[in-house]
Amino acid sequence: MTITPESVDVLDDLLGITPGKELHRVRHARDKVLAATQSSHAQFFDPQLTDNLALSERLWVAYFASHLTPNPLLAEYYLEQLQGLDVDPAWVAAVNAGQLEALGDHRLQAILVFTRTLIERPVEGDRQALVVLQQAGLSTAEIVLLSQLIAFLSYQVRLAAGLAALLSAGAAS
Amino acid sequence: MSEPIRINGFTSEVLGWKAWLPTIKLDSATPDQLAVLEESHPQAKVSDYYLTLAHEPEVLRQRSLAFNAIMYAPGGLSRAERELASTVVSRINQCVYCASVHAHRFEQLAKRNDVIAQIFSDPQTAGTTDREKAIVQFSIDLTLDPAALKAEHIQPLRAQGLDDAQVLDLIHAISIFAWANRLMLNLGEPVFSHGL
Repeated sequence: MTITPESVDVLDDLLGITPGKELHRVRHARDKVLAATQSSHAQFFDPQLTDNLALSERLWVAYFASHLTPNPLLAEYYLEQLQGLDVDPAWVAAVNAGQLEALGDHRLQAILVFTRTLIERPVEGDRQALVVLQQAGLSTAEIVLLSQLIAFLSYQVRLAAGLAALLSAGAAS
Repeated sequence: MSEPIRINGFTSEVLGWKAWLPTIKLDSATPDQLAVLEESHPQAKVSDYYLTLAHEPEVLRQRSLAFNAIMYAPGGLSRAERELASTVVSRINQCVYCASVHAHRFEQLAKRNDVIAQIFSDPQTAGTTDREKAIVQFSIDLTLDPAALKAEHIQPLRAQGLDDAQVLDLIHAISIFAWANRLMLNLGEPVFSHGL
């Protein structure tokens, strides 16, 4: 499944929130939230964004974050995007096992260690955590984008969980 | 306004925030960076937080659109109840800065701070009414374990009279603070003017 960010809403699509369902009407009534959520997603994974984190780095962050939460639906979605970039299957196995040092890529390892901290224990992401990213070669703009991306994924996964719960609860009686 | 609450390292007083990364400088900012600062917040041009995020202006623009639509849009869940959820999430994530801002906003909107003291003391038992307790518990559950959220979590909210549009507003308010707390916790630190 390939989703083009411009044409659809990723969460509606993944969760099956189709026109005609009550939750579709309720969600689309908050049109500004809907649009800003989808625009954020499209921007974080825009292949045209070339002067910052590589698309593969952004997708590794997204895959690892949704694997950790866990959210199988989002994890599968981001893994499919990654596989479209011909990533090494051994890297997927290493990330699944949390063996980030096995990647042999110091920069990606630092990015994913930071991801794990912010997803699992955000209060532990301190000043030193940013120094580690700087030492791995990330610029200030890259660290800002990375932090926004992980924070956005924390938002997206909770919105997806909330929408899925509402969907399975069915229409209010 | 009553005296600020100070419990367990959390406070409802106004705090500052300082960045750990170099912020953008206004005299060398691009027109787009200046535009997004103006769109984001009235004090963005003197805020370390916005001057950090402005390194990536389009990301900041969409974040601010989402944040402002979630927290300030008319109708649906009351603004005070959105601030209540934001304060609970910030307390659970241990974002002292965010908790202070949104505790203060709750107090401005609701004209009381009894539930804020409860949230700072022990969020698990907080809530002055059954409706508040249901909102607080849902905020904790979605924050701590989104993977475990099920239809059963929606029922106590419906039982307290929330319709699905209000439940969605609540989900949005909780989720946007998963986002906001991480930026505030991980890109800088609160500054205490009076000490705690």
